[in-house]
Amino acid sequence: MIELKNLSCSFEDKRVLQNISLTIAQHLCILGANGSGKSTLAKALCGLVTYEGDIFLDERSINSFSLIEKAKAIAYIPAKLEIYDAHISVQDFILLGRFAYKKSFFEYAHKDVEMVKETLEFLNISRLKHNLLNELSSGEQQLVLIAQALVQQSQIIIFDEPTANLDPKNSKIIAQHIKELKKNHNIILITHDLHFAAYIDSPVAFIQEHALHYYEDDFFTDTRLEELYGVSFDGLAVQYD
Amino acid sequence: MIRFFIWFFLIGIFLLSAFIGAVDISPKELLDADSLSSTIFYDLRIPRVLFGFFAGAILALSGLVFQTLFRNALMTPYTLGISSGAVLGAGIAIKLGLSTLAFGIAAVSVFGFVGALFTVFLLLYLSQFLRQTQQTSLLLLGIALSLFYTSLLMIIFYLGSAIQNDMLMRFTMGSLSIIGWKYPLILGMAAFILFLFSYLYRFELQLLSISQEQAQLKGVDTKKTTLRLLIVTSLAIGILVSISGPIGFVGLIVPHMVEKLYPQIISKRILKTSIFGGLFLVMCDTISRAIQTQSELPIGIITALIGGPFFIYLIVKAK
Repeated sequence: MIELKNLSCSFEDKRVLQNISLTIAQHLCILGANGSGKSTLAKALCGLVTYEGDIFLDERSINSFSLIEKAKAIAYIPAKLEIYDAHISVQDFILLGRFAYKKSFFEYAHKDVEMVKETLEFLNISRLKHNLLNELSSGEQQLVLIAQALVQQSQIIIFDEPTANLDPKNSKIIAQHIKELKKNHNIILITHDLHFAAYIDSPVAFIQEHALHYYEDDFFTDTRLEELYGVSFDGLAVQYD
Repeated sequence: MIRFFIWFFLIGIFLLSAFIGAVDISPKELLDADSLSSTIFYDLRIPRVLFGFFAGAILALSGLVFQTLFRNALMTPYTLGISSGAVLGAGIAIKLGLSTLAFGIAAVSVFGFVGALFTVFLLLYLSQFLRQTQQTSLLLLGIALSLFYTSLLMIIFYLGSAIQNDMLMRFTMGSLSIIGWKYPLILGMAAFILFLFSYLYRFELQLLSISQEQAQLKGVDTKKTTLRLLIVTSLAIGILVSISGPIGFVGLIVPHMVEKLYPQIISKRILKTSIFGGLFLVMCDTISRAIQTQSELPIGIITALIGGPFFIYLIVKAK
């Protein structure tokens, strides 16, 4: 369970969230306009941006977590990776997810390597294991990032616009995986894709003008969307004409 | 196959290096312990080859560490102005006419060391005001600092006597001519400590080479790791530059050469980069001694002469 208490944060000197309080029982889908602070909220959860107020994870303030403990609790999956080391393979990259479990200064254990192998098989991407990370398509990269989050064994997995760069087929694959992951993990999903969000079917937090509106289960109706986004909808799709 | 030839060539030169120079030495003469040749060989040449090896290893490894920490191929202690800081420190010592300070260590070295460290801390201080993503700004800061130092050095040149200027000029060009075993031992220790740190932090470096954000999310204390590695690297570079003067290009090109030869992840290239850097600099130094001029050619000129065109070739070929 995650609790946000009077949370305020800024992004590049601009206040984006003001005094937000929210309890996330299991899963959450974060929606909102561009620049409304969705990613900032997600980054605050994993400690990448500073904030005022407090965040509690199972009733313990996240400030008291060490970086290692935080990594074991929360995994964050970005929409896209920029990588400096051009020679890192899929296998080596996923293994980095085990860093928090590794003994300092020592090599990764055999157990860690085995876990990477099993996860690759589980996600059906064993064929990619020797490929370089830079050579992957966006869809494959998302799958590899999911694999890394899985070996990280974090209870909470945050997806930051996972389908933003994907074609419909890959979006479907990723969406199915995320739906599956809901069984054993707490999923926090940020997206603009309303059909995708409706499919994942989590409670919705809509961020608007620094504030957060929470909807347990009655969010995905055309009237509600019209009211929040200010454009007309038909069957969760924007009407262009 | 190319790898084999390159290593074979570099190691061959390394082994023969001590025999080459203004006085040619044949192995036979070495059997006579009292001969001039054996004195030159054991007290000048071998210490110098080892000094060159450690110097090259430090330059190459610090290049790799800086490039990884900042995820930018142009980040090296040389391009960030740390070497220039050492030169300015040395220039001030020469201008003030200081000779030796405590423990028989030259004032030029002490001032050079202080200059290098001062620059690192200045850069660290200034970098707090940059956003994490603005790596280019840090590079620009280093370049600006470098130019500023150079102009201060020009003032020292302008005010200096002919003898002072000659000393300063030689220091600025970089040289591995040292006498005796003191400096190779000091530098060997510095190289070892730098290697040990880089090796122990190889997994942190590997994660930092993805991105700072990713490293932090996987549990790396990025601030602490970066600071520790920067300080150890700068200490090693400070010690080196204070003795030898600035030697450019090694830190920039050797990590690239090794990356081309071994397209592997960074954690596996730490040892290879160190050894390759050492052998590379010994080769450059051997060339500088083999070319007979009035005195030997400064090593900085050789590394730039070899490094410049090679670097351009690498960049053009990669595109």
